[in-house]
Amino acid sequence: MLTGIIVLLIVVVAILLVLLFAGIGIYNSIVSLRNKADNAWHQIDVQLRKRYDLIPNLVETVKGYAAHEKETLQEVINARRLGIDAKTVTDQSKAENMITSTLKSLFAVSERYPTLKADQQFSKLMEQLNGIESSIAYARQFYNDMIMKFNTRIQTFPGNMFAGMFKFEKKDYFEIEEPAAREPVKVKF
Amino acid sequence: MYENIASNKRKTVFLIIGFLIFIGAIGYAIGLYFEYRYGANGGYSIALMIFALIIAIAVSFWSYYGSDKLVLKLVRARQLQREQNPRVYYMVEGLSIAAGLPMPKIYIFEDNGMNAFATGRNPSNSVIVLTSGLIDNLDDSELKGVIAHELSHIKNYDILLGTVIVVLVGMVAIISNIILRGFIFGGGRRRSSRSSGGGVLSIIFLILGLILIIISPIIATIIKLAISRSREYLADSNGALITRYPAGLANALRKISARGKIEAANNATAHLFIANPFGKKSKNFFSNLFNTHPPAEERIKRLEKMALGVGVK
Repeated sequence: MLTGIIVLLIVVVAILLVLLFAGIGIYNSIVSLRNKADNAWHQIDVQLRKRYDLIPNLVETVKGYAAHEKETLQEVINARRLGIDAKTVTDQSKAENMITSTLKSLFAVSERYPTLKADQQFSKLMEQLNGIESSIAYARQFYNDMIMKFNTRIQTFPGNMFAGMFKFEKKDYFEIEEPAAREPVKVKF
Repeated sequence: MYENIASNKRKTVFLIIGFLIFIGAIGYAIGLYFEYRYGANGGYSIALMIFALIIAIAVSFWSYYGSDKLVLKLVRARQLQREQNPRVYYMVEGLSIAAGLPMPKIYIFEDNGMNAFATGRNPSNSVIVLTSGLIDNLDDSELKGVIAHELSHIKNYDILLGTVIVVLVGMVAIISNIILRGFIFGGGRRRSSRSSGGGVLSIIFLILGLILIIISPIIATIIKLAISRSREYLADSNGALITRYPAGLANALRKISARGKIEAANNATAHLFIANPFGKKSKNFFSNLFNTHPPAEERIKRLEKMALGVGVK
C-alpha cells in the first residue's frame, strides 16, 4: 500500500515537472519571439530615421531650382514631421505612406526642371533615397513576418493560455495603404 | 531553422574532433613506422602523435578564425564599396534586412563564369562573394534570388561548416598525398635494403598505410557530400521566402548552370559555390557520386513548384 502511494506520488511529481518545463519552454519562446519582433521594429526605425535625415537635404536642393513649388515641398516637410511624431505602429505606417506619396509628387514636379535633374547632388540623393526605400520595404517585410509568428504563437494553443496569464498582446502589422504599392514588382527581362 | 544551425555547429565540432583524431593517428602511425624501421624502441610514436595533435589544434583554430580570409585569397576576391556598385550594395543591404541578418561584406572576383558563394564563421563575420560575370549577366530579380540564397546559407551557419571544411579537408588531402609518396618511394627502398627479418610486421604496416591512403580522400569527399546536397535545397527555399519570388532564383540557376564554370575553383572549394563550378559534368556514375551539388534541373523544378504555391510551408 505504502509503495503504491510512493509510486503514485513520484508519477504525479514527474508529470508536474514535465508540465513545468514545457511551460517554461513555451513562455521563453514567446518572449524570444516578442524580442525578435521588437528588434525587427528597430530595424524599420533605423531606415526611417535615415530617410528623415535625408529629406531636409533633398528639400533644400529642390528649393534651389524650384523655389515656387512651395506647396509640394511643404507637404513633404509636414509628412516628415508626422512620421517623427508618430507613437504607434499604425500612426507610423500611415505617416510613412504619406512621406512616400509626397516624395513621389516631389519627383513628379522635379521632372519639369531639367537643371535640377542634372544636379549632381540631386541625383545622389535620389539614389540614396531609392536604396533607403527598398530597405524600408524589406525591413517591413521582416517585421511583418516576425509579427505574424508572434501573433500566431499567442493566439494558438498552448500559447494563448500564456498570453492571457502574462498579458502578451497582439502586435500590429506595418501596413501599406497605397493600392499601387500592393502590386507585385514588375520584372523586366 | 534552429535545428539546422545546431546541426551545423555540431557537425563542425565533430569534424574538428575527427580531424584531430585523424592527424593524431597519422602522427602515431608514422612514429610506429620509424620505431620499426630504425629499430628505436618507444617514445617516437607518442612524441610524434603529440606533435601532430598540437599542429592539428593550431590548424583547427586557424580554420575557425581565418579560413574565410584564405578562401577569399584563393579566389582573389576584392571588397566592393557602395560607390563602386550601388545596385549590388543596396540589394545586399535590403535583403539582409529582410532576412534579419547584419549586413555581410560583399566581395567580387573577376571571372566571366557566373557563380557565387558565402563564407565566414557566423552572421556577424560573413562575406558574400559574387563573380563579375554573375553581376553583369543577371537581372535584378535573378541577382536578388542568388543573394537571398547565400544569405540563407549564412543564417543556417552553413558557411561555418563549409569554410572550415575547405581548410581541414584540404589538409587531409595534402597529408594523404605526402604519405602516399613516402610509402611508394620509402617502401621500395626498404624492401631492397633490408633483410627478410620482421617482414610480416612491415607488410602489415604497408597494408595499414595503404588502407589509410585509399580511405582518407574518400572520407574527405563523403564529408563534403554529406553537408552539401540537402542544404542547397534548403537555402533555395529559404532564399525564395526572403525575396518572395522563387522564379527569380530559378531563372538565375538556369543561366548559371549553363555558364557556371569558375577558373579559380578546385576540389577543396567546390562545395561552397551556389552551383557546380566545374561546369556541366558528364553523366558518369563516379562524377555524380563525387558531385557536391544537386542537379540544377531538380532545384529549378522545386522552386517552380514553390512559385505555384505547392510545397511552401
